[in-house]
Amino acid sequence: MMLAVDSIQILLLIAVAPLLRGIVSRVKARIQNRRGASVFRPYADLWKLFRKEALVPPTASFLFRACPVVLFAATVAAAAFVPVLRSSSLLGNTGDFVLLVYLLALARFFLVLGAMDGGSSFGGMGASREALVSTLAEAPLLLGLIAIAIVSHSASIASMTQWTIARMPFELSPVHAFAFVAFAMVIIAETGRVPVDNPTTHLELTMIHEAMVLEYSGPSLALIEWAGAIKLTLMFSMLIALFVPWGIAANLSFFGILIAVVAFLLKMAVLIVLLAALESGVAKLRMYLVPEYLGVACALSVLAVVFTAFAR
Amino acid sequence: MGLIEFAAAKTLASSAVFLFITVLLIAATKRTVACIALFSAQCGIITAQIVAVAFLRHSGEAFAVAIIVLLVKVVAIPYVLLRIANRLKLSPNVTAATTPAQSAFIGAGLILLAFAVVQPYARAFALDSEMLAAATAIVLTGGLLMVSRRMALMQVIGLLVLENGIFLLAMSTTFGMPLVIEMGVFFDLLIWVLLMGVFIFRIRETFAHVDVSRLRRLRG
Repeated sequence: MMLAVDSIQILLLIAVAPLLRGIVSRVKARIQNRRGASVFRPYADLWKLFRKEALVPPTASFLFRACPVVLFAATVAAAAFVPVLRSSSLLGNTGDFVLLVYLLALARFFLVLGAMDGGSSFGGMGASREALVSTLAEAPLLLGLIAIAIVSHSASIASMTQWTIARMPFELSPVHAFAFVAFAMVIIAETGRVPVDNPTTHLELTMIHEAMVLEYSGPSLALIEWAGAIKLTLMFSMLIALFVPWGIAANLSFFGILIAVVAFLLKMAVLIVLLAALESGVAKLRMYLVPEYLGVACALSVLAVVFTAFAR
Repeated sequence: MGLIEFAAAKTLASSAVFLFITVLLIAATKRTVACIALFSAQCGIITAQIVAVAFLRHSGEAFAVAIIVLLVKVVAIPYVLLRIANRLKLSPNVTAATTPAQSAFIGAGLILLAFAVVQPYARAFALDSEMLAAATAIVLTGGLLMVSRRMALMQVIGLLVLENGIFLLAMSTTFGMPLVIEMGVFFDLLIWVLLMGVFIFRIRETFAHVDVSRLRRLRG
């Protein structure tokens, strides 16, 4: 039963991810007074891409084909650590948050490698930008997680979630508040959403992620897009599990799981609307201001770590 | 009734956390409009806090103070500041001596300093150290804003933030000053903001800019 729920959790994350992306762009379209494409459009895109042939540049090596596969596999493995419906997960007891962060880093590393192997100048440009952003985003992400690990006296994400559930929703500690804001800022940078990177642009000078995947086509592109969608869903689920996990199933009764599903969907909906509103209301930062943005996130997470000394 | 009192107590307990975050974001923000909005949000949190105190202590005076804070600080002063910012037609970015990340780190340092400084007082008088630290941090950040920002309007916002801190300090130590004094302070503030608005326009008329770092020489 436990194994079944855990498998459902991870399959849910993987299967729902494109839908999440579709909903975000639909809500964004609505805010901008457009009708917008169907929310199932990303699935159709994936289906289309999987049936096409993959074109490989003549200068590329085997890495070019292998990178999307490694990227997808590492992202799916990271998804197996995130509690969604119950306060544990498939691999929840086998690794801690450091492993999760570095699985995501591994995925990103191979994405960068693939982009550079493609041989186009845009690929190299996007890769170097992505490397800069992810290096700067890693510190606040890790520090924020460390702060929570210190107050909850455990390194596994499952026990951090359990610790937070045991507390009252009103009993906010400064540690969680600072870590929450830092984490939210990092999610935007890590998943390439608007103030840092524009997921819909193909304008040469501003793109980061899109520049990296410019050479990819067919099933490889489909894997990259799907992995990107999973990463967004995964980060949002982490945010929910670490900071607002209330409603997650404590016992494995049918009713408890039902409540957990409804609570998860509600929280996700709130996050999606907030993200869409932010993306419509804020202009993209200049490339030189991205380190400033992540510096602010870093200050917040450092403060979160220091405040663990004062936490009751 | 029990539920309302519970909510009031929890509002009081968690408001310090929100205040810390507004403090840090005000220190880090680059845009005038965002700064004014954050100031308004900070005053909103303080209003919620006064209402919570009023519920817990059953004091009508505190309700009156809450209503005045809501009208003056959350609505009137930000509105006046926004109008000044619009009419000055400045670039939307605040020019500052420090970059946002540096300001955020300095703000974080100020919060820690505030925490360290208030510990003995909080212990001696059995007060909530988080609340006291939040008030002190707001005072310090107000000073930081006045020192590090170059546009004259930000000096006004800095002083208002500083005043917020003093008000919060008075509230967290003695549960507020008498209503007459509070009312006097609020109307002083409102008049002061209006006067500063006129003053900033005079600066611009004479110097054709409002950059205080360039106000070096006397002009007729």
